[in-house]
Amino acid sequence: MSRRRSVQLALLLGPAVALIGLLFLFPLLGVMKQSLFNPGFTTESLEKLATSPVAAIVLRRTFLLALSVTVLCCVFGYPIAYYLATMSKRWRAFFLYLILLPFWISVLIRTYTWMVLLGREGLVNNALVGIGLIDQPVQMLFTGFAVHLAMVQILLPIMVLTCFAAMVEIDPQLVRAARTLGASPFKAFARVFFPMSIGGAAAGAIICFILSLGFYVTPALLGGRRNIMLANLIDFEVHQTLNWSFASALALVLLAATLILLALFRLVAPERRLHG
Amino acid sequence: MTTMSRRRFTTGIAAALAVLAAPAAAQVTITVNGSGGSLAQTITRIYEEPFTKETGIKVRATAPVSLPKLKAMVESGNVEWDMTELGGSDVIEATKHGWLQPVDWKFVDPDNKLPDIAKRPNAMVTATFSTVLAYRTDKFPAGKGPKSWVDFWNVKDFPGPRALQNSPVGNLEFALLADGVAPDKLYPLDVERAFKKLDQIKDKVTVWWTTGAQHVQLLIDGEVVMTSVWNGRITPLRKEGRPVAITYQGGSLQLSYWGIPKGAKHPKEAMMYMRNRLDPAKGEQFVSAVPYPGFIPGLIERLTPEVARDLPIHPDNVAVQFRFDPEWWAAQRAPLTERWNAWLLQ
Repeated sequence: MSRRRSVQLALLLGPAVALIGLLFLFPLLGVMKQSLFNPGFTTESLEKLATSPVAAIVLRRTFLLALSVTVLCCVFGYPIAYYLATMSKRWRAFFLYLILLPFWISVLIRTYTWMVLLGREGLVNNALVGIGLIDQPVQMLFTGFAVHLAMVQILLPIMVLTCFAAMVEIDPQLVRAARTLGASPFKAFARVFFPMSIGGAAAGAIICFILSLGFYVTPALLGGRRNIMLANLIDFEVHQTLNWSFASALALVLLAATLILLALFRLVAPERRLHG
Repeated sequence: MTTMSRRRFTTGIAAALAVLAAPAAAQVTITVNGSGGSLAQTITRIYEEPFTKETGIKVRATAPVSLPKLKAMVESGNVEWDMTELGGSDVIEATKHGWLQPVDWKFVDPDNKLPDIAKRPNAMVTATFSTVLAYRTDKFPAGKGPKSWVDFWNVKDFPGPRALQNSPVGNLEFALLADGVAPDKLYPLDVERAFKKLDQIKDKVTVWWTTGAQHVQLLIDGEVVMTSVWNGRITPLRKEGRPVAITYQGGSLQLSYWGIPKGAKHPKEAMMYMRNRLDPAKGEQFVSAVPYPGFIPGLIERLTPEVARDLPIHPDNVAVQFRFDPEWWAAQRAPLTERWNAWLLQ
């Protein structure tokens, strides 16, 4: 690399590196330190992490919830992306716009909107009682159902767009070639299109999973007493029990899980390039 | 320097500095941390604006009350608050860790008129409030609403979803009252018995609230038919004509305090403001708007019977409530909160 080039690089990347280093990595080191020093070196928080029944339950539920939300996003997102990738360009722009639209509305507002819709005296219950389908309002708010619904709604566009990006790179001629060689429409999809799009779907799934792990507001507002996620527990340890050392240890678990998944993501991503 | 003599120049500078310095001296701004919400507007009107007019000291109000923030400020040495509101067990916790500085009682209460209950070495009682049972009057036949924690637990005669605070503090007491323990025999709490009683109601409690705004919203939206509430949040709803009511039966009578953080930048001005908050005429205005009275000498005598009847410290209301014990909780809070979380998750 020439000297000029490295100066250029430093100028271009410097501000971003400084910003992340100062405002993200440096505080993160503080969090790590807090989990191990209180004030002298201690493994108390890490031991508590291993033995606390609450932490174990919350960790398990956080991962299970993230997993079920991710599976739902794949099930709904993949067909939508497929449909988008195969439709005419004019309609595609319109539908992409519709999918992007929710991104302009904050997660908090979307969560509150679900509260208005799902409440006991909310729109859905009032409509169902009004048309005589049910006598008593159904408890939808403050349940796992509400948390799933809202999280899938928030994460679905990300899944669709990631899948879509992989799918538009697939040459439609290849599927047509399979058909002319005698493959049935299903077989052409399963043997040609699907293997080439799976990298994009996997990348989308990992992003959805990582984002799900960190959800805080949605389960706090829409969930019941069982829908506590890791971020909510961290908040509780910071604000209620003042055990910041334990909160830091919990945060490290979240960070470690995210880093491992990001490493997985890098394994998945180049594969997509090979096929595209 | 040719047209202006050295002396004139120096005087000019001095005058300019004096002009700059004068407003700076008068323009002290103290930061007072409280509970925020609709309460904050009332406090601004009744206390902060007149205080600024009288003393020239500006008051900046922040919220919410937060022990972790106090801890972070004192430990980092970057103390933003000159004064903060604190709950009863918060004061004990903050005292234990040395996060508060002493109050100069000779300055704040020179004539020694405040009752002892209102004074701690490092905190002054700012208000009394109660955690009580509130319910939707329109969800029950007229006059047949729940009257006590026994009724809260009785889902047969008082059907409908309920809410409670997401904390063992207070709820263990309510459970024991519902189980027949006498209000004056509550402490030390029989924790096993309380959790056993809570098991009975657990699945009928659809929401475990964390803020005052939340329990108000739950009642208004009809998400629950009854919940534990902070008494002062319900008075404005009733004035708006909402179908809600409270009962003081089995309520938890609590104190909240003002404290000055260690390392606060304007402790003297904060204590001036503290003294100002003891004015009975302003207290009367405040309590008429928000039923959170302190122990201001001469306050109760000034109130109309209707306003007095709604206060947590009205003799009739005191008689049916229990006196919350922050000392007991300060020692038990951490292990019981841990147990509470595990209990909720099951």
